[in-house]
Amino acid sequence: MGLTGLEIFKQLPKTNCKDCGQPTCLAFAMQLASGKASLDQCPHVSDAAKEALDSASAPPVALVKIGKGEKELQLGNETVLFRHDKRFEHPTGIAIAVNDNDSEIAFKVGEINKLVFDRVGQTHNVNLVAVVNASGDAAKFAEAVKTVQDNTGFPLVLISEDAAAMGAALEVAGANAPLICGANAANLDAMVELAKKYDAPLVIKGAGLDELAALVEKAGYKKVILDSGAREVNKVLADQTQIRRQALKKFRPFGYPTITFADNPDPIQAIVDAGVYIAKYAGIVVLNTADPSDILPLITLRLNIYTDPQKPIAVESKIYEVGNPGPDDPVFVTTNFSLTYFCVQGDVEAGRFPAYILPVDTDGISVLTGWAAGKFTPEKITEMLNTSGIADKVSHRKVIIPGGVAVLSGKLQELSGWEVLVGPRESAGIPSFYKQRWGN
Amino acid sequence: MILIGERINGMFKDIREAIQNKDPEPVRYWAKRQQEQCAAYLDINTGPTVEKEDQPAVMEWLVKTAQEVSTLPCCIDSTNPDAIEAGLKVHRGKAMINSTTADQWKMDIYIPMAAKYNAAIIGLAMNEKGVPKSAADRIALAMEIVVNCDMHGVPMEDLYIDPLMLPCNVAQEHGVEVLETLRMIKTLADPAPRTTMGLSNASQRCTNRHLINRTFLIMSMACGLDSAIADVDDDALLDAVAAANILLNKDIYCDSFLKTFRSR
Repeated sequence: MGLTGLEIFKQLPKTNCKDCGQPTCLAFAMQLASGKASLDQCPHVSDAAKEALDSASAPPVALVKIGKGEKELQLGNETVLFRHDKRFEHPTGIAIAVNDNDSEIAFKVGEINKLVFDRVGQTHNVNLVAVVNASGDAAKFAEAVKTVQDNTGFPLVLISEDAAAMGAALEVAGANAPLICGANAANLDAMVELAKKYDAPLVIKGAGLDELAALVEKAGYKKVILDSGAREVNKVLADQTQIRRQALKKFRPFGYPTITFADNPDPIQAIVDAGVYIAKYAGIVVLNTADPSDILPLITLRLNIYTDPQKPIAVESKIYEVGNPGPDDPVFVTTNFSLTYFCVQGDVEAGRFPAYILPVDTDGISVLTGWAAGKFTPEKITEMLNTSGIADKVSHRKVIIPGGVAVLSGKLQELSGWEVLVGPRESAGIPSFYKQRWGN
Repeated sequence: MILIGERINGMFKDIREAIQNKDPEPVRYWAKRQQEQCAAYLDINTGPTVEKEDQPAVMEWLVKTAQEVSTLPCCIDSTNPDAIEAGLKVHRGKAMINSTTADQWKMDIYIPMAAKYNAAIIGLAMNEKGVPKSAADRIALAMEIVVNCDMHGVPMEDLYIDPLMLPCNVAQEHGVEVLETLRMIKTLADPAPRTTMGLSNASQRCTNRHLINRTFLIMSMACGLDSAIADVDDDALLDAVAAANILLNKDIYCDSFLKTFRSR
């Protein structure tokens, strides 16, 4: 993203000395903005101005990495307030907390490792294990960090505001770029020193947005995760919104991902809070629960929120059973565009009869689009009938196609050997179609 | 698209006579009519026949009369700073000043005035030397206005840069430069200044004026035009703007988009 003429002009010395070859500083700013001149042509520009101009051309939210290897978590590089404007880039990292005074740390970490779920044919999991220095004891914290590190492949978040405890923990885990959580007004210098020593990302926590901005500037460190200090959900929402909004306006101190804590003692409230943070810009959300029933809805929400709205969402191309279909029940063919599939599925369910639905893989486009693009063809439907295993599930050889592509019926019947029934143009007509045409 | 209704201008015979006779009816008629026709501002211009010393009082009367019957803000259009200030003093809501050029002495009058009355301001990309031909020269003047507004704390959302369209029969080569200027204005500052245009200029003394005006308006909208001073009584123009809003993804499409556009 280029700089605007006004942004550049404000950093120039405004002497109009012509040493750069331009008649005025303003003219030079315009040349810079259009890429026709370079800043070093001005001998009078200050280092502070150079840095301001350099950082102004950086992306609005810096990319920050936590951990190493294949489970490394990347956060940041976000460019929008609303996902429909472009997309959200890096899904919120979900961290599960364990306390260092817990007697069964290894067991708990084992439970966290199991938080892997299968959604739309892909696996999705939590990303981080947070170790909390609840004991206040440095040795105990370091020991807990070692136990956690030995039992999981996930990157760690080390939570302690005691620099000595953090130093001890980093001796154990520092080589793996854990997230140091973190610095505040009291321990900023010590924490920044530790972060620099281990080249690890650092959470900076302020008491409110003003202090946060001041601390980030003071730290002068670039691998930062922001914490506004807010813990009530309404305040977190307000702060998250401000941080993202200001970052997009290129307020540099807020140009980093954020961390949030969904630690309400009521587990249902904690999950609802976490849902708010996932939708509203949180880079990381830390939870105290490792119960799969708490985590699954969050994983699902995160997957949905972070999908690219410009790409059609596809369902997996396979046999779907509605109700408990048996060998005599009907087979509907459609496409794997999620909107299309869920229309058909919803209308079949509304008809209260069991059936099979076969969404053909059209790269997630609708029936008519797929037909026009040559992706919903008699050949593809035949292939689906032959390879999906539907023939083993039903005793009949009848397939129902959408009314919109009635013209495919002859060719499909010839190719597949199945009897082709042309369904209604709209899936809303499926229930009455079923009554009139099926089973008679 | 922010449409500024051009009709309350002493250049038009009915308004000139209304001013002479202190007859509020034509002013009221056009204030109401233009509001119905989707105008967001009413341009108010005393016209050249009013003596310079009478202009403040006439401007005051026009603004008051128009705002008696219309809820719209006014775009106070004069080359006389006293007339503009007189209009601003009696104006209700957020006015627009039409206009300053990039001459420093004019900017020193009008931009502080915009800041004082919290008014928007139109900045013409020209100076005493006249209208520059190339887009680059227009942009350099626009930048002068941007910097002066920034200095006086006038937000970019309140600055409307007019790249100055000239009649296409005698200054045909300016059209493409104006379009290029519109594109470049958006790179001057962040947030970007807004843009406007005296649309009817494009077709002075041409045939098929409505066609020329609306075609250039649509081309300009594609290049980032935010606003225009135009003949809002021209239904074909409104239809074209409504369609352009859809094609530029500014309004959400619906089958009745022409009606929806007018019912706002």
